[in-house]
Amino acid sequence: MKIVIAGAGEVGSHLAKLLSKENQDIIVIDNDESKLMNLDMYNLLTHVGSPTSFKTLRDADVAEADLYIAVTPFETRNVTSCAMAKSLGAKKTVARIDNYEFLRSENRTFFETHGVDFLIYPEFLAAEEMMTALEKTWVRNWFELCDGQLIVVGVKLRESAKLVGKKLKELYSLSSSLHISAIKHKYETVIPGGNDEICAGDIAYIATTKDYVDRLLELCGKEQLNVKRVMIMGGSRIAIQLARLAGDRYKIKIIESDLEKCHKLAEKLPDCNIVHGDARDIDILHDEGIEEHDAFIALTDSSETNILACLTAKEYGVKKTIAEVENIQFIAEAENLNIGKVINKKLLASSHIFQILLDSDSSNAKCLALADAEVAELVAKEDSRITRADVKDLHLSHDMTIAGLVRDGVGHLVQGNTRIQAGDHVVVFCLSGAIHKVEKLFN
Amino acid sequence: MKQKKSIINIPVVLRMMGWLLMIEAAFMAVPLLTGIVYGEESSVKAFACSALITCGAGALMTFGIRPRDTDMHRREGLLLTASVWVFFSLFGMLPFLFDNALSSITDAFFEAMSGFTTTGASVITDVESASHSVLMWRAIMNWIGGMGIILFTLAVIPMLNHQGGIQLFNAEVTGITHDKLRPRISQTAKSLWLVYVLLTVLLTVLLWVGPMNAFDAVCHSFTTVSTGGYSTKNASIAWWNSDYVEIVITVFMFLGGINVALIYTALSGKVSALYKNGTVRWYVGIVLLFVAVCAAYQLYNGTFEKLSDIFTCIAAITSTGFSVANYDNWGPFVILLLMVLMFCGSCAGSTAGGAKIDRIIFLIKNTNNEFYRVLHPNSITTVRVNSKVVPNAIVMKVIAFLCIYLMLFVTGGIVLTALGLPSIDAMFASLTALSNIGLGSGITGPEGSFAVLPDAAKWVMSWYMLVGRLELFTVLIILTKGFWVK
Repeated sequence: MKIVIAGAGEVGSHLAKLLSKENQDIIVIDNDESKLMNLDMYNLLTHVGSPTSFKTLRDADVAEADLYIAVTPFETRNVTSCAMAKSLGAKKTVARIDNYEFLRSENRTFFETHGVDFLIYPEFLAAEEMMTALEKTWVRNWFELCDGQLIVVGVKLRESAKLVGKKLKELYSLSSSLHISAIKHKYETVIPGGNDEICAGDIAYIATTKDYVDRLLELCGKEQLNVKRVMIMGGSRIAIQLARLAGDRYKIKIIESDLEKCHKLAEKLPDCNIVHGDARDIDILHDEGIEEHDAFIALTDSSETNILACLTAKEYGVKKTIAEVENIQFIAEAENLNIGKVINKKLLASSHIFQILLDSDSSNAKCLALADAEVAELVAKEDSRITRADVKDLHLSHDMTIAGLVRDGVGHLVQGNTRIQAGDHVVVFCLSGAIHKVEKLFN
Repeated sequence: MKQKKSIINIPVVLRMMGWLLMIEAAFMAVPLLTGIVYGEESSVKAFACSALITCGAGALMTFGIRPRDTDMHRREGLLLTASVWVFFSLFGMLPFLFDNALSSITDAFFEAMSGFTTTGASVITDVESASHSVLMWRAIMNWIGGMGIILFTLAVIPMLNHQGGIQLFNAEVTGITHDKLRPRISQTAKSLWLVYVLLTVLLTVLLWVGPMNAFDAVCHSFTTVSTGGYSTKNASIAWWNSDYVEIVITVFMFLGGINVALIYTALSGKVSALYKNGTVRWYVGIVLLFVAVCAAYQLYNGTFEKLSDIFTCIAAITSTGFSVANYDNWGPFVILLLMVLMFCGSCAGSTAGGAKIDRIIFLIKNTNNEFYRVLHPNSITTVRVNSKVVPNAIVMKVIAFLCIYLMLFVTGGIVLTALGLPSIDAMFASLTALSNIGLGSGITGPEGSFAVLPDAAKWVMSWYMLVGRLELFTVLIILTKGFWVK
C-alpha cells in the first residue's frame, strides 16, 4: 500500500517508522528538513515541502497514494491538505483534528464533500481510553468486541493471582473459557506456548467471553474499584476532553501550574474544581486532599513528571493512577513500575490508522496498538486464507495468535481445531511488524 | 535491559555474505555457458569448479549459521559492504587460477579486484589468447561491480528490504547524499538496475550492428556502461579502428558518468531534469574544456589525432580506461591533464569512480565563500548546489573526503616509487587505482602492462581500488579502533 504522511512531528514520525516496518511504501512530507533528516535512515522516502502546496503533493505522487494522512499540528492545515490530496487522486484521506465539533455526525457530510474520509482526534481517543480505565480499574487494557461478547484484557498479575506460576496447558485444562494471547515479561512481549509459565509481575493479555469476566477478575486476584473522585494534574487538552466526557459521573479536581490556563479551565469546565499550583508540591497535594481521591491522572507535557507524580500519588494511597507517557521508550519502564495505566497519544493515533489499513471499507473494525504489539479485530472475507483450514493447520507464524471470534453475535474462544468461517469477527494478537501478514491472511 | 552482546553481530554478517556468494555463483553460470557454446572444455571445468566452490561456501555460511539476533545496524552494514567486495574478489579469482589464465594468487586477486571495482587495470598480458569464458567473466565482474554488488542484492533479495538495507545502500552507493527514487529501498534498487540494464542492452545492439561480433559487443557493453574498461583485445578499442565504435562507446561512457538516478528521472518523462542539473552542466563543461585544451596543445605540437582526444578524455573522467591511442606520446602535459580528469571523476551516483564532480563543486563554491569572507567577515554565506542550500556538516564532510583522497593518492604514489616505479608512473598508478580508472602511464601504460609491477605493488593497488570504490569512509572506518570498541 502506498501511504503519504504529511507532517513529521511526533505522531507522523511514529506512524512513518511503524508503517515502514509493516512493509508499506511510505512518503513523508514536511516543511522542516531537519525533522525529515531523522527519518531518512528508515526505509522510506522523505520530501521537503509544504503539505498545502499542490507542487509538493504532486512531487510526492499523491495521485497514486492509497492513503493520505495529514498529521501536522494544525487542524485547518490538515483538513485543507487532505482536500487537496483527494482532489489530486488520493484514495483515502485522514486528517488529525483538535475539535470535538468536527467529530459530530451532523458535520460528517461537510468533511465527506471536502474529501476528508477519516478524522483522528488523539486527545479525544485518549480521553475515551481513560474513561474505560476509570470504569474497569482492574485492567491495563480493555478491548471489547460486539458489545462485550468477546473481551481482551491486559492485566498485571501479582503474587496473589491464581494464574501465576502455572503452565499454560494446566490452565487450559482447568478452564476452557480463557485464552492467554500474549505475555509481557519484563521488556518483551511474547506469544506463549503451552509450556510457558506466567510469573508474578508479568502483564498477561487474556481473551475471554462475556460471561466469564467476573471469574477472570477473581482468577487474576483483582478487585473492581468504584471511582468517585478524580484528581488530574495538568490542564491539558486531554484533561478538558476527559472532564467533558465524564460529565457528573466523577468529581474532578484539576491542578494546573499556569494561572492563565487555570482561568480558561474554570471558564470551560464549570463543574470541575480548578486549583492553581504545582502538583509536584506535596503540600498542595495534601491541601487538596490527595488521600481522599480514588484516581490520580497525570497529564503534563513531561512524561517523567507524570510517572513520578503517579508514584507519589500511589504512596498516598490512591488506588488507580494513570500517566500520560509520550516517550515510547518510557512505556515499558512505566509499566514495570506500579503505575496503573499508561496513555500515549501516538499509540492511539496509530491504532486508528491500523484500523483503516486493515479494513478501509468498514469503520467498525477495531484495533488497539500497544508499545510493541497490536490487537486487531478483522472480519474474515469469503475464501480468504484464514478460512481454508483449521487454526492448527494454518501454520501461523510465531508472531501472531488468534484469540477469539464472534460468530452470529456470540463470542467464542479459538482452539486448535476451530475453523474460521467467512463473516466471523476475529480478534488477532500480533507483535509489531506482523500486521501486514495478518492482513494477507484475511483478504 | 538487553543482555550485553559483542558490539558487532558477526554471525548475521556472515550469513548475508553466504547469500551474496550464492548470487556470485549464479553469475558464474554465464561464463560457464559461454564456455559450453564455444566448446572450451578446460574453461567449462574451471568455471564449474569455481561456481561449485563459491556456491558451497555460500550455502555453508547461510544455512550453517543461525544468528540469534537478525538485526543489522550501522556497524554490520559497513562491515558487510566492505568485506563483500573482498570476498567476491577472493572467489571471483578462482576461475583465473583454474583456467591457467593467471598463475599467481596475487595476479588473480588483482585482476578480480580490478574487475569488481570497475578499475579495469589488467595483468593478463595477452587477453586475446584467453578463453572466451574468462573474457566474459571479466566483463561480468565489471558489470556487477559498476552498479554495485549490494545494490543488486537489494533489488533481488526481499529480506534486505528493511532498515538494515538502507545502511548497506548508503555504504555502497557513491556520492555525498543518496537520492532515494521510491519509498522502499528495494524499489529504488530495482529502478536503478532497470536503467542500467536498459543502457547495457541498447549499447550491445548498437555495437553489434557495427563492426563487432556478438561476443565482443556483449563484453564491451558490460564494461562500458559500468565504466570498467576491460577489453577483449590487447589493443583495446583501437583494435577495431572504427569511428563508429569509438563514437558509440564515447557516448555510453559519458552516460555512464551521469547519476543513474537522474537518468531514471529523465527516462520517466522529466528530461529537463537532466540539463537543469548543475552537476551535469559542470560535467559537460569540464569535458569540453579539457578536450579543447588537449586538442589545442596537440594541434600546436602536430600530434593531433581526430577522435582519440575526446575518447581518451572521456575514458579518463568516467574512469572507464579504454584506450584508442598511445597517449604517452602526447607528452607529460597531456598526462597531467588526464590525471586531473581522473581525480575529478564524474557525477556522484554514477557507476564511475574518482572523487566525483559534486565534491569538486562544493570545494570550489566553499573556497569562493572563504575568499568573500576575508573581505566581509560578518557575512553569512551558503553553499548552493542545484539551487538547494547544502548544510555545513556536509560541506565539512566533503572537504575531509577530498583531503583524505589527496593524502591517499600521494602516499600511494610514494609507496609505489619505493617499490621501484618511476615517479610519474607511480603517481599515475596510484591515482588509477584509487579512482578506479584503469589507464596506465609509462611502464604500465598503453605499451606496457600492470603485469610488470612487483607483487607488493599489486596488493597496494588492489587495496586502493577497494578503498576508492567504496569512497574511503566505508573501508577506512573499519580500520579505526572506534569501530570495534563502543
